[in-house]
Amino acid sequence: VSATSYGWLVLAFPLAGTLIVALGWRVLPGRVPGWIATSAIFLAFLSAIGALFDLLDQPEEERQLVDSAWTYAATGDFKADLAILVDPLSLFMCLVVTGVSFLIHLYSVAYMGGDRGYARYFAYLNFFVFSMLVLVLAANFVILIIGWAFVGAASYLLISYWYRRDTAVKAGIKAFVINVIGDIGLVVAAFLILDQVGSLDFLPVFDQAGDAFARNDGTLVAACLLLLVGAFAKSAQLPLHTWLPDAMEGPTPVSALIHAATMVTAGVYLIARMHPLFELAPTAADVGAIIGCATLLFAGTVALAVTDLKRVIAYSTISQIGYMVMGVSVAAYGAGLFHLMTHAFFKALLFMGAGSVIGAMAGIQNMDRMGGFRRAMPFTFITFTIGALALAGFPLTSGFFSKDEILAFTLNRGGGYAVLGVLGYVGAALTAFYAFRMVFRVFFGDAVPEARELEGGHIAHGEPVNPMTGESEDTEVGFPGPEHHVAERSWPMKAAMGPLALLAIVGGYLAVPGVSDVIEKFLEPTFADSRFHDTAPSDGAEWVGLIVGGVISILGIGAAWWVYLRKPGTATRLRERFAPVHTFLVNKWYFDELYDALFVRPVTSFGSFGRRVIETDFVQGTIVGGATGIVRVGTSIARSIQTGYLRAYALLLLAGVAGLTLYFLVNSS
Amino acid sequence: VTIHLSIVLFLPLATGLAGAFLPRGLARWAVLAGTVAVLAYVIVMLFDFESGGGLQWVTDDEWIPDLGIRYSLGVDGLNLFMVALTAVAWVPCTLVAAFSELERPRLFFFNLALAETAVLGAFMAQDLALFVVFFDLMLVPFYFLIGVWGSGDRVRATTMFVIYTLAGSLLMLAAAVALGVLATPSGGDISFSLADLQQRSIANGSQHWIVLLFALAFFVKAPLFPLHGWVPATYRSTSIPVLALLSGVLSKVGVYAFLRIVLPIMPDGADYWQELFVILAVFSILYGSILAFSQDNVRLVLAYSSIAQLGFIVLGIFAFEGKGAQGALFQMLNHGLVTVPLFLIVGVIAVRARGSESLAELGGMAFRAPVLAALFLITALATLAMPGSGNFIGEILILFGAFEDKLVYGLVASAGVALAAVYMIRLYQGTMHGRAGPAVESREIDTVNLAAVAPLVAIVIALGLYPNFVVHRTERDTTQNIARVVALSGNAEISVIK
Repeated sequence: VSATSYGWLVLAFPLAGTLIVALGWRVLPGRVPGWIATSAIFLAFLSAIGALFDLLDQPEEERQLVDSAWTYAATGDFKADLAILVDPLSLFMCLVVTGVSFLIHLYSVAYMGGDRGYARYFAYLNFFVFSMLVLVLAANFVILIIGWAFVGAASYLLISYWYRRDTAVKAGIKAFVINVIGDIGLVVAAFLILDQVGSLDFLPVFDQAGDAFARNDGTLVAACLLLLVGAFAKSAQLPLHTWLPDAMEGPTPVSALIHAATMVTAGVYLIARMHPLFELAPTAADVGAIIGCATLLFAGTVALAVTDLKRVIAYSTISQIGYMVMGVSVAAYGAGLFHLMTHAFFKALLFMGAGSVIGAMAGIQNMDRMGGFRRAMPFTFITFTIGALALAGFPLTSGFFSKDEILAFTLNRGGGYAVLGVLGYVGAALTAFYAFRMVFRVFFGDAVPEARELEGGHIAHGEPVNPMTGESEDTEVGFPGPEHHVAERSWPMKAAMGPLALLAIVGGYLAVPGVSDVIEKFLEPTFADSRFHDTAPSDGAEWVGLIVGGVISILGIGAAWWVYLRKPGTATRLRERFAPVHTFLVNKWYFDELYDALFVRPVTSFGSFGRRVIETDFVQGTIVGGATGIVRVGTSIARSIQTGYLRAYALLLLAGVAGLTLYFLVNSS
Repeated sequence: VTIHLSIVLFLPLATGLAGAFLPRGLARWAVLAGTVAVLAYVIVMLFDFESGGGLQWVTDDEWIPDLGIRYSLGVDGLNLFMVALTAVAWVPCTLVAAFSELERPRLFFFNLALAETAVLGAFMAQDLALFVVFFDLMLVPFYFLIGVWGSGDRVRATTMFVIYTLAGSLLMLAAAVALGVLATPSGGDISFSLADLQQRSIANGSQHWIVLLFALAFFVKAPLFPLHGWVPATYRSTSIPVLALLSGVLSKVGVYAFLRIVLPIMPDGADYWQELFVILAVFSILYGSILAFSQDNVRLVLAYSSIAQLGFIVLGIFAFEGKGAQGALFQMLNHGLVTVPLFLIVGVIAVRARGSESLAELGGMAFRAPVLAALFLITALATLAMPGSGNFIGEILILFGAFEDKLVYGLVASAGVALAAVYMIRLYQGTMHGRAGPAVESREIDTVNLAAVAPLVAIVIALGLYPNFVVHRTERDTTQNIARVVALSGNAEISVIK
């Protein structure tokens, strides 16, 4: 069995899972849909491993395999096959996606128990994984865009999963529309590339790009910037990030899977995949690096102020993807993708822990209401803390190695890039602080009633309310389910969080400077053509970076400890002292308000202007009735309808047709 | 010369006539059987069709020899899928109508059958005069279908519809006659055969105004801004199965005729108006999209969305480029295939909301009607040209075609893609998601509508999986029909005839 056959299998299992669960929703009992969906992803994971072994058997220069199922659409110079590309990069993504997805499916089997939409949930979740795999396996722009959009649709469906909530519905359309803006970016970019290079297939495009474009060719820079629009929309980078915090309306495992571990990293994958183009258009790559850096700082500051637990993690995700985007934009491909992987581990873990806490809080997500869960939820506490340590880049955890590798590479590029690297370290301090702001506020301090109730042996049950608005839920439909689940009491959740906690620590050992470079080596065939292939920083320099990063991380955690545990009340004092800054941050830099004023309101007011003025006065008035002559013609025709002229005309036509029919039935034989 | 196309063409009318003499209850089944038979015939044709084989199953007889008018029918890549769309669309609409309570059913179904014959005739005609006859004939059954079986302010609706389309028809009649006469070389015989007309030369100045007259007629039918004045009233009052056909199929006849008649016969005239028509198309896209999400009435959302979608099609045609024209043709099929189920679903929704079609009163239906919601979702996503649907391939080809020569217009039109996402998702959410509206009584889709909608959704999915089925069969004839205008506008090197 060849690697590409395994590649097709990787796609086939989640698709089959989707179809079985979606079509069998009425007959599949209890948790069966969950188990079917979970096994489908597990089989996809095994297939990806099969492809891995097969690919490693090939000589390095032959590790880029394309296989086409059929011609998807071909006319003129537009030609696209339904084809997959199996190479180290796509396989790396497949392994991360299926591996993490499998654990999140497993977690969901328990977490979503009692929800009336159980089968629908797993059909969507499987469909998401399928779409994500289409995205990473695509061998040309058309299939890439299809996977890209499918992923957006799956994300939309899961954000709006609890569709009786007004907030979930609004968050859904916002995410969908911003994602479509990204799709349009990709479509226009694909056109420019087709127009200049004459192909839509990745490998020929990458081969010929060097001949078709001069360095920093205007068209190519435009194409790469448009690719970045797609990447930024999907990866929630400035200024297209506003949908991701709202996407937290989806169930928590969805936040873990789609809005942290996999889909939102698609932009990083895209830049890495298109690296031959970006290296020919360094201006566009620099834009990517600057935006990534700006995003990581911006989101880090917001994460300091927001009190909704899931939204803190969401802003943390935006910030971490900023690191990855910066990394792949400065040609630190191995490092960027390494961070993508470790981030998938620890961020999924953090969301799972958050889900467990939210379960214990009977759906409440506000950190102001939480505290002292340390004793009530020891497993969640330990795993969540491991996740937070990795996020903070605490020495010897996975995030420590991956984040600092990006920063070391950025600093090593020198010049203006050094500024970006230094700002990256500032972001790292923010990260360590807000990561432990969560830990200290949720697990330390006095136990809240919900925590004491859990210590007493049962899970709190609150009135079902929308956590965002406080509105009481529409309980008629049975979802969100009345049951709440905590990791301590359901083994599938534990079974998912345990391995992730382990990976959040040891995942980093795949690439330790001077010790191991598994990731770099494995990805080598994809990135061998990079101009920056030999410009990686020395092991010594990387270790200096690691030590600096480690110190910053410990200082950040220490600061959080000081503010929240050592001197509780400091946070309140700081908030009062810097009230305007705090308001600015809590309102997320007012991006939503800005877009509302810039786009939403002008378009809607043009809509009502069109409805009230253009339609009635111009189209109906001027064009229909403005000229009296036309009106007279109109009324006379209208009168003729009454008096039967038109009927006579119609009858005449009918008779004609009947005659014709007869004539030709007789004649044409 | 074969009789096949004549059979396909007159089969619906024959069953309609037969139904008129059958007992009241039986007419509907006769007509339904007729539509099914036409569909079966067309499916066989689809697979028998020889890609790139030019006109097939040609019927060519003298009709009025003194005027050079021939009874000439033929199917090639350009109209194969238009004929197929007609055949496919008529079955579910007739089915839904057959199961609804109607006054004077025999007359209704006779009109419905006559309409199918007229539309098929317009699509298959290879003679300009014959095309005009069928084009005008379409008006008659629809006049009755809207006027007699419509609801609400149907008199106003019919009046508007008739004024607009009749005005358009008269302009086109004048244009067709003028074209035939002006194209006749001195001493030669007059001919309306499309093949003959393509060989003849028409003075540039004449081409300009003749094309304008044709365009007015076709833009009214499409409809395109600002000639869509008849749309709101007509869409509000027409009964659902008729409206589905009006919006899904009839709207394609005009734009199809651009590719069949205007571009190959009068390339200079088409080239002359290109800029203006492209601007109109782009404006229709934006205007239709914005108006679509400002509407509260579900039907009007779809009405304005049609204006936007037809704008895309006109943009593709007037890009004068192979991909654009291919995309436009494919999009005609795709738009028809999603519009029909969308309107049928609107009918289903209205029944579950005590007849209300106002988004303010709808909502929350998905819970007790998951199958309905799923069908609606797939259709809605296809309508907004979600990648992975045939509509996406249609739209991307249109945009690519437009980008080639009219990059700025193409980019502005791309904004319409995002706006389409806004109005379609808003429509879906407004009916299916959120809390249940006060009048909503959520029930699953009934068997009849399921039987009507599900096959269409299946076709939409199939085209999403393998769009090349259509693209491959239409490529050669589309390219040929725009070849003259492409050569004229200097896009020749872009579009290569295979």
